[in-house]
Amino acid sequence: MMRRTKTNVTRRQLLAGAAAGAAIGTLGFPAVLRAQVPSVKVGILHPVTGAISYSGTQSRAGALIAIEEINAAGGIKALGGAKIEPLLADAQSRPDVGAAEIEKLNEAGAVAVIGPYASAIAIATTAAAAKHNLPHLVDVGVADQVVTRGLTNTFRFAPGLAKTVETAINNLVKLNEAAGKPVKTVMIIHEESAFGSGMASTLNAELPKHGFEIVETIKHANPTRDFSNIVLRVQARKPDLIIPSNYYNEYVLFARALRQQRVQTKGIYSILGGGASSYKFVKEFPDAAAYVMDCNHWFDPRKAQALALKDKVEKQGLFFTYEVFLNYCNVYLLADALERAASTKREDIIAALASSTWDKHIMPYGPTKFVNGQNEGAQPVNTQVLDNDIKVIFPLEFASANAVFPVPERKG
Amino acid sequence: MTARTAFAVIAFAAALIAPFVVHSDFWMGFLITTLLYAYMGMAWNVLGGYAGQVSFGHAIFFGTGAYTSTILHISFGLNPWLGMVAAAVAAGLVGALIGYLSFRYGLRGSYFALITLAFAEVFRILANSFEFTGGGVGLYVPLKIGWWNLQFPSKTGFYYLALALTCLSLAIGAWLENSRFGASLMAIRENESAAEALGVNAFACKLKAIILSGAMMGVGGTFYAQHYLYIDPTIAYGPGVSVEVLLVPIIGGLGTMLGPLLGSAVLHGAGELARRLMGDVPGLDLVFYGVLLIVMVRFLPEGVIGLLRRRHKPGAAHA
Repeated sequence: MMRRTKTNVTRRQLLAGAAAGAAIGTLGFPAVLRAQVPSVKVGILHPVTGAISYSGTQSRAGALIAIEEINAAGGIKALGGAKIEPLLADAQSRPDVGAAEIEKLNEAGAVAVIGPYASAIAIATTAAAAKHNLPHLVDVGVADQVVTRGLTNTFRFAPGLAKTVETAINNLVKLNEAAGKPVKTVMIIHEESAFGSGMASTLNAELPKHGFEIVETIKHANPTRDFSNIVLRVQARKPDLIIPSNYYNEYVLFARALRQQRVQTKGIYSILGGGASSYKFVKEFPDAAAYVMDCNHWFDPRKAQALALKDKVEKQGLFFTYEVFLNYCNVYLLADALERAASTKREDIIAALASSTWDKHIMPYGPTKFVNGQNEGAQPVNTQVLDNDIKVIFPLEFASANAVFPVPERKG
Repeated sequence: MTARTAFAVIAFAAALIAPFVVHSDFWMGFLITTLLYAYMGMAWNVLGGYAGQVSFGHAIFFGTGAYTSTILHISFGLNPWLGMVAAAVAAGLVGALIGYLSFRYGLRGSYFALITLAFAEVFRILANSFEFTGGGVGLYVPLKIGWWNLQFPSKTGFYYLALALTCLSLAIGAWLENSRFGASLMAIRENESAAEALGVNAFACKLKAIILSGAMMGVGGTFYAQHYLYIDPTIAYGPGVSVEVLLVPIIGGLGTMLGPLLGSAVLHGAGELARRLMGDVPGLDLVFYGVLLIVMVRFLPEGVIGLLRRRHKPGAAHA
């Protein structure tokens, strides 16, 4: 007969002990490690798949560069050097998926979310985040409705559509007056979604007030691969100025078709132009890109930090697009709020963002000043493609070149 | 009480208490989406599964419902609950129009599928062009949280609404399987000429089916608009919704009562599983999801319900 003493261990007890040990091993020790190296989880939510995946991928890259820099510099010092841990999420270019990802990020312990590039997705994600009082920094999402619904958790660092269009029109008027008013007629070519249609409707309402006659507005589908008919319409209408409002691919194809059919105008003036402020466009199609003007999100070319970031991004084989530097800035803006809040409580972070006066960014903005979630210090700038580079031409205090307007007649 | 009834009662009771057990908003969101697509899958199933009239453009009803309630709410201040009724009526009328034009002129099979696709595309272009639909900008539903505005403060409200819609769709499925009208639809599906020879008015039956299917989808459109607070022509009339509501009954089991519910659960479950397994590599989860769908369609031609039926056949275990 087997004698069992108190020190003997049965097979069942051994298994239970092993299971408990395994549980401690997998759950307990990382908890200890986490305690040693604290981290702050931040949701990085972008459409990295689907129709607008290029912009989403660029956005994610910008955010990750900033996180890497902050962590390398010692993390969030007010939180004991806590590292920022990015929680990557994919909105799949769909508002409903974006909203579902917010729930996932909330449950994974994100203290804030940065993203999600597109306005339509931002409408859904900001509302979903508001239910958890989760701070949401909107990186691009220019639709004014993103910040006009009274959501106290929502902050947009970059300018919205109304401000951008207003600035663009004012700068166009100044540019035209300074050149002796060569532009009297305008033609608008825009894509069919919220971005292009909204822009076209605002321009149709505002430009006539400044003495511009809109000879025609043409809408095209996404995607459109053949612009020859639209360019024939442009040739027939002979506008002084063309205002395109479309995403990157369509922008480039339209500009190339204009060049191929040798359309002569006094200028191409874009507002948030998909290709107009893109180094990719300038590098790949320098002839079509020459002299194109844009009013868009752009970095301050006088700041060394901006130029250093541009170098770093290009060394990674990426183009330095506005998605990259806006997300980069949003991560730093959040880091500044975390430093001042010295807390990972959501209400503390929201309070710190709302009272933010951060000025160490690479944009041509003043210190941040959030009014109802919109950074009133934000402004777009005018750029022009000159000498195979993108130069800032307005406002003059940030300008790196003088505008060439009207553009010289081009032969060949 | 039969085993089947007991199972249904237990499943319903589990669904009722789910919000008290599931404390994760993410999983509540998952359940809401699953139930909504189960409901809309049944809407498609009424026409495509039971009547055999496969539609590639059911987004036309979804979009019409979403736009109807949203426009009535924004422009005329109509309460979204009443807007949901108006959405059902409007989408049903669109169904009557498409059905009359298609069935009156004898369009069947792939011709009918293509005409529904074409109608959806026409509506997408129209929604893009008119000012009252917001054009390409779309429409933003004003944020006014409150159950009377069909904007629930927590996910529980949307969950119970989605559950109610799903139960309604199951009741419709049960009615179709046990009614003369349902039998007529199935007869049309199997052999329309033979059904007509037996006295079934195929035109009237198909017309009723498309009206019912359209009205159900219209309610789904209002649900979506009130949940995500934004619609544009691509969301409303684009191919995404058309494909998803078609996949749900195909995966679950065409022309069956439980098919759409099973299909939606499997489809969304597989999507979520893919996301969790594939990590942060962009698009890899969609590749996995696609492969999974191909495998399921290849090896389960009768859907999940077909698999369950095979397993419960006497002697199946020894086969």
